[in-house]
Amino acid sequence: MPIWIQTWTLPLWLSGRGTARPTSGILKTMVPAGQRKRSVIFVVALGVVLIAVAVALNITWVVSNWRSAGLLVLGVLSFMVLIGGLSLNTIFLVREIRRNEQHDAFINAVTHELKTPLASIRLYLQTLQQRDLDRAKQQEFIDIMLADGERLQSTIDQVLLAGSTGGSRRPMNRSDVDLVEMVRESMRLVGNRHHWTTGELELAGGLPEGEQAVVWGDPDELKAAIMNLLDNAVKYSGDRIKVFVNIVKTGARKVSVQVKDEGIGIGEDELKRVFRRFYRIPGRSTARVKGTGLGLSIVHAVAKRHGGRAYVESEGEGRGSRFSIELPLKVQ
Amino acid sequence: MSRILVVEDEEHLATGLRFNLELEGHDVTVADTGEAALAHLVNPAPPYDLVLLDVMLPGTDGFQVVRELRDAGRFVPVLMLTARGRAEDVLTGFEAGADDYLPKPFDLPILIARVRGLLRRREWARQQPETETSPASVFEFGGRKIDFDAQELEVNGETRSLTLMETNLLRYLVRNEGKPVSRKALLEEVWGVREDTDTRAIDNFIVRLRRYIEDEAARPRFLVTVRGVGYRFTANPEE
Repeated sequence: MPIWIQTWTLPLWLSGRGTARPTSGILKTMVPAGQRKRSVIFVVALGVVLIAVAVALNITWVVSNWRSAGLLVLGVLSFMVLIGGLSLNTIFLVREIRRNEQHDAFINAVTHELKTPLASIRLYLQTLQQRDLDRAKQQEFIDIMLADGERLQSTIDQVLLAGSTGGSRRPMNRSDVDLVEMVRESMRLVGNRHHWTTGELELAGGLPEGEQAVVWGDPDELKAAIMNLLDNAVKYSGDRIKVFVNIVKTGARKVSVQVKDEGIGIGEDELKRVFRRFYRIPGRSTARVKGTGLGLSIVHAVAKRHGGRAYVESEGEGRGSRFSIELPLKVQ
Repeated sequence: MSRILVVEDEEHLATGLRFNLELEGHDVTVADTGEAALAHLVNPAPPYDLVLLDVMLPGTDGFQVVRELRDAGRFVPVLMLTARGRAEDVLTGFEAGADDYLPKPFDLPILIARVRGLLRRREWARQQPETETSPASVFEFGGRKIDFDAQELEVNGETRSLTLMETNLLRYLVRNEGKPVSRKALLEEVWGVREDTDTRAIDNFIVRLRRYIEDEAARPRFLVTVRGVGYRFTANPEE
């Protein structure tokens, strides 16, 4: 029997029509979309025009030299090499442009995520220093600063973790990890952070009585991945948070932690992109959610480093989503 | 009591700003999106005296908000507050029509001082019609009249409001009338930016000023380009 952890109503990624292999996280980009689109369109158009010119020249040359077989073969081969080179060059340029855009977007997002809570903490500290406040107001401002401190810490942790999980050569500190216990603990932490008391986050199912889900893995990385899934679900749930967590065996030697929400969902086209590092789903409903674009890419990297996988299902926008991380069980 | 609109989508910052500004005696309204800000500002009753505007907003960003505001002929002073503090971002803000720019994190006393400065300037501009215009604050050339205190430009009987930065740029050019001024000097003296940065924002400002003061912006007479240096303002150009 699977363990379902019912989580408060949550995220935006939904379960649905498609299943996507992981690729990324969410990120606030400030590069104007129109400008980005124009630069890519220009490179693609240039590549297409050059290839068309090469093909036209090729055909003309073939027509005018069709009687000379040797020259014809040599010429056709040369043109094929030229066209292949042009195609590769175009693909390379487009990839580089996208990489630069992602880099800019990441810098903007991290700058925002670091400076905003810092600005808030500084504002409240100076307010406490310079204004005459009653005890209740002081406590209110201290609570706000603590929350901002946590946000700052979380951003720094995400960036460091993204760096350490990015290189697969970095060794892991493996030990036996009881996934059921880890999921319960992570849920407790998320619930406390948001001061939830009414079952917004729920363990909706799980393994049969007495059955364990032990994974041979790095506890810090696995916990970060589970916390990222829960946080994502909460962030993209909007005002109506309802998140369900389930732990289920998906094969003789595999266990999956599934986080399901009733949030803003994911369109079919976006399913394969959401695990990409720095990727952020465009649109007004996601623009209000702050982040560095690293969370889901970390989940993906952690799953991969443990010999597992991460994937998402969604029935489309506005219909919730279900994120899963599937890991190999420890061989007893 | 001044009316201030705080446009900030970060709840904690908005709360802290509102608290401090209210303690300073202002009437504060908070908007958390660019669209909400524009709805507040396009037909406000009574009008706002100052806007504190974040740049990274969901939907319409702060640069676009101030641009649309100026296009709609609204010249309420705008102080931009943003995590994007690079010189290019500062120039983009001014180019869009902001009057001042304060990068996050900021010092509370500095913020309060800048708010007071902008409100004081607005108050002076309001009192202008009731008092005699100081001759030093007005410059006339070629049938045009710039009133630096009122931040207004009169061309062929039509009066146009200027942003603080447009006024400051014109003031600097007038002070150096007849002499070429470099883009670097403009950056340092008018914008207070001392970093190596892209100067295209200045060129855009100049293009805008030419649209205001020249008969044909494409063939400028008063504000000409000095190749390899920058620009020169001439009050009495030769025909």
